[in-house]
Amino acid sequence: MGLKGEAAVVGYAQYRPEKYATAPRVFHLEQVADLARQALHDAGLKSADIDGLVIHGPQFHEAAMFVPAMCAEHLGLHLNFAEVVDMGGTTSVTMISRAAMAIEMGLCQAVLCVIPSRMAPLGPDDDPLWLAKVSRFGGHSTAFGAPEAEFDLPYGHMGQNTGYAMIAQRYAARHGYDARAFAKIAVDQRASAQLNPDAAFFGKPMTIEDVLASRMVADPLHVLEIVMPMAGGAAVIVARRDVAARSRHRPVRVIGCGERLTYKSPTYSQEMTTTPIRAAAEKAFAMARVAHADIDAAQIYDCYTITVLLSLEDAGFCAKGEGMRFVLEHDLSCRGDFPVNTHGGQLSFGQAGTAGGMSQVIEGVAQVMGRAADRQLARCDTVFVSGTGGVMSEQGALILQGN
Amino acid sequence: MPTSKPMPRETEATRPFWQALREQRVVIQRCADCDQWIFYPRHHCSHCPSTRLAWHEVPGTGTLYTYTVARIPTLPDFVDEAPQKLAVVALDEGPHLNTTLIGLAESGIRIGMRVRPVFDVVDETGATLLRYTGIDTVLAGKPAAGVAAAPGPAPAVARRQIRSDDLEAMKSLVSADFSPWSNEIVVDQDMINRFAELSGDDYWLHTDPERARKEGPFGGTIAHGSLIQVLSSRLTIPLDYEVVGFTNMVNYGSDRLRFPSPVRAGSRIHGRMRVKAVEKVKSGTQMTLELNIHVVGSERPAAINDLVVLYM
Repeated sequence: MGLKGEAAVVGYAQYRPEKYATAPRVFHLEQVADLARQALHDAGLKSADIDGLVIHGPQFHEAAMFVPAMCAEHLGLHLNFAEVVDMGGTTSVTMISRAAMAIEMGLCQAVLCVIPSRMAPLGPDDDPLWLAKVSRFGGHSTAFGAPEAEFDLPYGHMGQNTGYAMIAQRYAARHGYDARAFAKIAVDQRASAQLNPDAAFFGKPMTIEDVLASRMVADPLHVLEIVMPMAGGAAVIVARRDVAARSRHRPVRVIGCGERLTYKSPTYSQEMTTTPIRAAAEKAFAMARVAHADIDAAQIYDCYTITVLLSLEDAGFCAKGEGMRFVLEHDLSCRGDFPVNTHGGQLSFGQAGTAGGMSQVIEGVAQVMGRAADRQLARCDTVFVSGTGGVMSEQGALILQGN
Repeated sequence: MPTSKPMPRETEATRPFWQALREQRVVIQRCADCDQWIFYPRHHCSHCPSTRLAWHEVPGTGTLYTYTVARIPTLPDFVDEAPQKLAVVALDEGPHLNTTLIGLAESGIRIGMRVRPVFDVVDETGATLLRYTGIDTVLAGKPAAGVAAAPGPAPAVARRQIRSDDLEAMKSLVSADFSPWSNEIVVDQDMINRFAELSGDDYWLHTDPERARKEGPFGGTIAHGSLIQVLSSRLTIPLDYEVVGFTNMVNYGSDRLRFPSPVRAGSRIHGRMRVKAVEKVKSGTQMTLELNIHVVGSERPAAINDLVVLYM
C-alpha cells in the first residue's frame, strides 16, 4: 500500500519573498506561466512533458472556478490530470503527494504543482482597499451560516495569532513553558537564514534575548515568533521515473506521505496540544519504510515557534512534553546536529502566502539535490517535510529521498 | 449601544441557543441516539449519523480550557476590549466553546479554573453573548460589552486633610508609587472629531478612519495627544489626601508633557497620579504631580504630564 517511490521531484522555481507594498503585481495566470517556465528550465524538461497540474484554487485572482482549464489554455498544456488543492499552509505538501499519487496510478507522467502568491494588478474598477477588506477577517469565513462567523468573530476570536497562542498556553499548562526554548527555534533558523541570500531576514542575525524582548502579540507569542506574510510564489515539478531520469538534477523521490484534517478551529479538537501531524507522519513513515534516525533534515512548517515544537513532538522526533528539552539540546541550524528549516524557515525566509509551505518542500529538495549552496548539509539523502494549515487544523507530511 | 463589531447572525439551527442566552439560560444539544453533547448547534450529530439532536438546558459552568491575552486587538473594532482575554471553556458536559473572560485580573486566570457564564447583552435588540468569569467572581453591576467593570466614577476613598502650609506633611505625600486608577472613559471617533473641529487640527490620522486604516501606522485613527491630555479633567483619580488651608491655588502649567503611545479611536483610557515633588517657594507651597494616562490594559502611558500647582 502507499507510494512506491516511482515519482520524483525534478525541478523547482520560487520567487524571493518580497513585501506586498513593493512586490510586482502580476496576474495569477502569468505567474503560473512564469513559474512553470522557470521550473521546467530548472528540471531540464520541456513544456510538452507536463501533462498534470495541481494548483492552489482559493484566492486565484482571475477566476474562482475552472482554474485548471484556464491554466491549461494559457500555458498550452494537454492535461491528463488536474486538481485544485485547498488546504491552507499544508497545500504545498499535499500537492506533491497528489502529484505522486496521480503519476503512480498511471494517469500522467509529469505534474506541475504551482502556487501564485503575488498580488494581481488593480483594474480600473477595482477597489484599492480590496485587499484590506478581504483580509480583514483573515482566514475566517464571514458567510451567513459559517460557524466561525457566528461563534468566533463576535467574541473577537480572529486570525491565527490568538489561536496558536491559546494552543501554546495550554501546552504550558500541561508541560511547562520555557520561553527561551521557543525563542531558540526562531534563533537557530535565523542562523541558517544568514547563509541564504534569498531569505527576507538575510543579514539580520538575532539572539534569544532579541526574541524575548520583542513585542508580545498574544501571550506567550512574541512578534519574532510569528511569521511575516509576504508576496511570492512557487512551482515544483514531479515526474515519473523515466522522465526524471532525463532531468537535470538528482531526482528526489516521493516515498511517503500522509495528511490529517479533523477541525477548522482547534477549539473543537479533543486536545489541542495533540496535533494532526501525528497521524500524518505515522502514515508517511510507515509508507516510506524509513525510521526517524534516517531523516537527515526536517523541514517543519513554521508559522509560529509553537507549530515547530508541537510538530517535532507529534511527528515523533521526540516524546510528548520533551520538545523544549530537545530544542535546547540540539542545534537546529544547517550547521547543527539536527537541522530544521535549513533555509531559515518561513520565520526567517518570509511566508509567501500559501506558497510559503512550498519553501519547505523546495529546501528539502535542494538539500537532497545538493544545491543548497552555503547551507548545504554534508550528507542529505532523506528529508521530512511538514505542512500546517489553519490553526493546526490540517497537517500533511512528506518523506523525500534521493536516488 | 451601537457597535461595529461582528455580531452573531443566528440560523434556523442555532436560534434556540441565542434565544436562550437572551433569557439568561444556556441550552446545548445532545444526540438522542449516541448521547453525546454537541457544540456549536447543528442539525446533524457529529459523533454518529443521527439527526435526533435535542436541546437541553445546562448550568453553563465549566473549566477554563485555555486562554490568551491579545496585546494587539484582533480586529480594530475590539480596541475597546484591549487587552482581550480570549478563552476556550470546556463545559461540564464536555463540549468546548469560544468566549472571552471578564471580571478577572490577568494574574487571577488559571487554565483549569472553574468558570461560570455571564450573559452580556451587546446591542439594543437584546442580542446576548456568552462570556465567562471565575465561578466565585462577583461582577460589579451589569457588564458592558466585554468590559470587566463599566466605565463610571472611581470608588470613593476616605481622604486625610493636609494643610498646604504644613511643609513636612506636604512632603510626606511625595512617593514613587502611583494612586489607584481613575474611572475609565471611552475616546471614540465622535469625541476626536469634535476635538478636531474645536482645535482646528483635522489631520487625517485623527479624522479619516478609512485612510488611517489603509495608510496610517496604527491600523486606524488615533486621538490627538492634546485631547488625551485635557481629558484628565474627566478622570476622577482616587487620592487618599486633600490639600486644605490655602486661599488660592494656581495651575502653574507643566514641567513635562509627553505622548509615548497612541490612543486608538474607541479605546478606553484611565489615569493615575503621584506627587513627584513638594517645595517651599516665595509665595507658598509648590507641588509637582505626575499624571499618567493609559489605554486600559496598556503598560505604556499614552500621556505623561508633570503638573505644577502652587498653593498660596
